Amino acid sequence: MSEFRVLIVDDEIDFLETLVKRLKKRKLDAVGVASGEKALDILDRERFDVVILDVRMPGLDGIETLKEIKRRTPLTEVIMLTGHASVESGMQGMQLGAFDYVIKPAGIDDLIEKLNQARERKLLHEERIRSGRNVP
Amino acid sequence: MRKESGPAGTCPDIDFTPYPIEEPGQSRLRLFQALITLLPAALAIPLFLCAGPIYALLALSVAAVSFMVAGYYIGRIARANEQKCKLDLQLIQSQKLAAIGELSSGIAHEINNPLAIIGQEVEWMKHLMKEGGCGSNTPVGGMSEFNESLIEIGRQVDRCREITHKLLDFARKKEPLIQAVDMNRLIEDMAKLVEKEARQRNVLIERNYQADLPLVRTDPPLLRQVVLNLLNNANWAIEDRGVITISTMRAGKNAVEFMVSDTGCGIPPENLDKIFDPFFTTKPPGKGTGLGLSICHGIISKLGGSISVDSEVGKGTTFTVHLPAETTKGKN
Repeated sequence: MSEFRVLIVDDEIDFLETLVKRLKKRKLDAVGVASGEKALDILDRERFDVVILDVRMPGLDGIETLKEIKRRTPLTEVIMLTGHASVESGMQGMQLGAFDYVIKPAGIDDLIEKLNQARERKLLHEERIRSGRNVP
Repeated sequence: MRKESGPAGTCPDIDFTPYPIEEPGQSRLRLFQALITLLPAALAIPLFLCAGPIYALLALSVAAVSFMVAGYYIGRIARANEQKCKLDLQLIQSQKLAAIGELSSGIAHEINNPLAIIGQEVEWMKHLMKEGGCGSNTPVGGMSEFNESLIEIGRQVDRCREITHKLLDFARKKEPLIQAVDMNRLIEDMAKLVEKEARQRNVLIERNYQADLPLVRTDPPLLRQVVLNLLNNANWAIEDRGVITISTMRAGKNAVEFMVSDTGCGIPPENLDKIFDPFFTTKPPGKGTGLGLSICHGIISKLGGSISVDSEVGKGTTFTVHLPAETTKGKN
């Protein structure tokens, strides 16, 4: 099985660096970027299984970034992570195809479990497409 | 008041499954006819022996009369039943048409508003161009006002796109992706999200989770969408101070259930039948598209479950979602 690649998008650099470090310690190939624009850039060039996306960011915000990720690579699973929980943006995110909507602070074990579930979903999705079951 | 809405539901899939038309019970009626005919007929023999032929003849004619009368009424019942079946089908057909009508007028209404704004802006831009003079390329008032109109048009196009996307969302025949889910945890995650906003409005969330719930094989993001929607509705149903109660429980061997109850305003009986219909909303225009519950209904149907509502005006509303714990197609 290829390596589990996670992209973390958050404008709080301290938080971003800590999370990348902690995920790497758990043998995940984690990469961090500080904005939605940079996230789309790197997603154009590299393959990631799951994206952890902050909701509130200057520039392209979490919801806009989610929309764009789902449009470009619908199979990439996205977990929204937010310090400012808003039900409105939660509903929007889920409707736009986010895998989960998690409130900060999230325990690392919790987060890793969610990452694994999101990845499992991506693999299921790929398998379904390979076996052609999506076609009615 | 209660409204059930199961996998073979109505909207938003516009999949009308006629409720089972009752078996007329013909065989039972025929048995009754035989009974009231044979009883006097059987009495004819002892009557012939004890009381003479006249009484026996009387018994036989009673038998004949009851046979004919019963036959006549059975025929009428059969015809009435046939007519009822026809009317039922007609009723389903007209309900179908009514729902489609409502759906299309809903879409028309939602799309018409942004269209009207776009039209106005275009008129305004034409006006600006004309005022600027035929030869010149700059509209009167410079580019800024012109630009504002363009931005507004873009915004309205986005609004239309959102509506069509939402519609496509439940028209799409996307199969759910099935994973094992701890339902208590999934619900708790969403409860935490709603709790912050609820607390600000003095709304408490009470948990009533059953501890040893079996894992549910379902599509987690889809289920999250439903839970979040129901919790959000419950929160807004309460004006100020109230309680939202979330319960989970086993329902028989192969199913689990969760309930979201609120102590809010309740739903009047005349609206209870419509709450799962697309575009049905009691919120002021622009505050909600009326698609939330119909999307929930569509999702739960897709997941092989059912959703029902219980409500009393002034007391509150309870939504109950019933989900299979083991799905046969879940292997993936």
